[in-house]
Amino acid sequence: MTLKVGIPRALLYYYYVPMWQTFFHELGAEVVLSSPSTKGILANGLKHAVDEVCLPIKMAFGHVLDLAGKVDYIFLPRMVSIKKREYICPKFLGLPDMVRCLDGLPPLIDINVNLYKSKKNAFFAAKEVGKLFTGNYFKISGAYRYSLKTQKKYFKLLQLGLLPDEALAGLEDGVGNKPRPGQGQFTVALLGHPYNIYDSYINMNIIRRLRAMGSNVVTAEHLSEQVVRSCAACLPKKLFWTLGQRMIGAAFHYFKRRDVSGIVHVAAFACGPDSMTGELIAREARAAGMPFLNLTLDEHTGETGIVTRIEAFMDMVRWRNAGVS
Amino acid sequence: MKGYLGIDVGSVSTKIVFMDESGVIHEAIYLRTQGIPIATVQKGLTELKKRLPSGLKVRGVGTTGSGRYLAGIVVGADTVKNEITAHAVASSLQVPGVQTIIEIGGQDSKIIILRNGVVSDFAMNTVCAAGTGSFLDQQAARLNIPVEKFGEIALRSQSPVRIAGRCAVFAESDMIHKQQMGCGLSDILAGLCDALVRNYLNNVGKGKEILAPVVFQGGVAANAGMINAFKKALGLAIQVPPYFDVMGAVGAALLSRETVSRTGSSRFKGFGVTDTEFKTGSFECSGCSNLCEVVQLAEDGNIIARWGDRCGKWSNAFAEQEKIS
Repeated sequence: MTLKVGIPRALLYYYYVPMWQTFFHELGAEVVLSSPSTKGILANGLKHAVDEVCLPIKMAFGHVLDLAGKVDYIFLPRMVSIKKREYICPKFLGLPDMVRCLDGLPPLIDINVNLYKSKKNAFFAAKEVGKLFTGNYFKISGAYRYSLKTQKKYFKLLQLGLLPDEALAGLEDGVGNKPRPGQGQFTVALLGHPYNIYDSYINMNIIRRLRAMGSNVVTAEHLSEQVVRSCAACLPKKLFWTLGQRMIGAAFHYFKRRDVSGIVHVAAFACGPDSMTGELIAREARAAGMPFLNLTLDEHTGETGIVTRIEAFMDMVRWRNAGVS
Repeated sequence: MKGYLGIDVGSVSTKIVFMDESGVIHEAIYLRTQGIPIATVQKGLTELKKRLPSGLKVRGVGTTGSGRYLAGIVVGADTVKNEITAHAVASSLQVPGVQTIIEIGGQDSKIIILRNGVVSDFAMNTVCAAGTGSFLDQQAARLNIPVEKFGEIALRSQSPVRIAGRCAVFAESDMIHKQQMGCGLSDILAGLCDALVRNYLNNVGKGKEILAPVVFQGGVAANAGMINAFKKALGLAIQVPPYFDVMGAVGAALLSRETVSRTGSSRFKGFGVTDTEFKTGSFECSGCSNLCEVVQLAEDGNIIARWGDRCGKWSNAFAEQEKIS
């Protein structure tokens, strides 16, 4: 019998799903993803999550619950660090333990992923997980290598200007592996945690809205690690959080790009790291004379607030572009 | 006479103006929305028709405010614009060279920064509506004074008391505290104005470069106590334009003039819409677990618009009407 492993469509799913999916697949397991975010999933998450956590974590609760009863394991690694000398938000670290108290869940695969000291720990984590499925060491290390390769391909596709869902589709059928020129009149950089900007439910379809208003959308994921890192190094002191680093680095890069007409920063209400990186980006944007909009996401389902702000922002950008040319 | 209509349907009040072709405002109507936006717009139009000379021709209509889509469909608007752009457009015409616009309405407060006649930055209150018109309304009612007298009484204060302005709930308990200690009414009201201005500048105006000329508009600009508090806090002269409480509508009228000069003709349905029966209703779509609340608008029994669905299943059938923005 094939074992079924569930992966919640939340948080770092948007970065690492090709790797995770390939790894389990290579070990002979069947991967089940939770359904895309909906009102029902969020409502369920809100009901079961502790009060103080941020919206994306509540959403993650909903996705975990969506998988209950459908799978043999839920893959919920304890992400401590994904980069040497940097950390991931502490809420990620506590997530498996917060989730554990829910009723009716299959066993969690809550392996520690901590690359703070060394990159090698990733392989050790994979080995531990692999043991659940096979006793064959070579099979595990083969699966791990193949999963890294797929992940690299995915990052390459993203850097061609694709969005995660387009890139995932590209991995499947192998087409669309070329840069996609946008159709819009101008370009806006959308910055924020991947689980905020790519989850179209949580952000009320912001990417589609921006495109419908005549803009191309670029994100931090469209840039190579090198570019992001070298730009983030402009800060007088290094940020602790890997995701914050990405955002800052991307912001600093897009400030310098003449083809980018504005920056939209999306933050979740009650996100600690965002309150800091958002402010840093806002200040730099002001200094650089770049139109900037900060959007705060929370549980409300009324779209007017978001729509009004985006519309006004687009008017501002258009107005300015017309004035400059 | 020929001219343009501007309609601003806000959370608390609905504003309608009639502007002639040269940009002069002939009539302005200010009504409370009272939760019935369509009926209020109809009432306002009836009133306006009575006041205006017969034989006038409406060359274009613009709507703005949080109820702009609804109002736009009801009257047949040529342009449906967000209130930030509308306010900026109106201010730049009324006060040439304006660099900062402070706008405080019923539920929203915003700041708009203009440089060289172009919007360069803006912000709206995020998750908190403390310090907006509704709160002043409520406090005036609690203290049993008409809200129109609020400013006048506040101006009489000799030494305003300190009130916490961070949150409306805390502000209220602080006010009650001071009142029970025996502080004078005018000192409490002046203290409240100071607190709200402080909250506004720290929240909405955070990090914005506020330069003269500063224009203060929106319903709250009627409050002399608030004007005074802004003057004190900023150390700058505060200008309140003659049509400060209907500036959104003025902006919408101006924008419709621009649109009609491009399109050539208006979509205005005529003053007859005041006699048409409009009915709105909503239902929960059960097509997927998003359970979108779909709102529909019927004109004399025929459904003319639907919105609120994420997938477009219901609204696309009426997409033409929605594209007017």
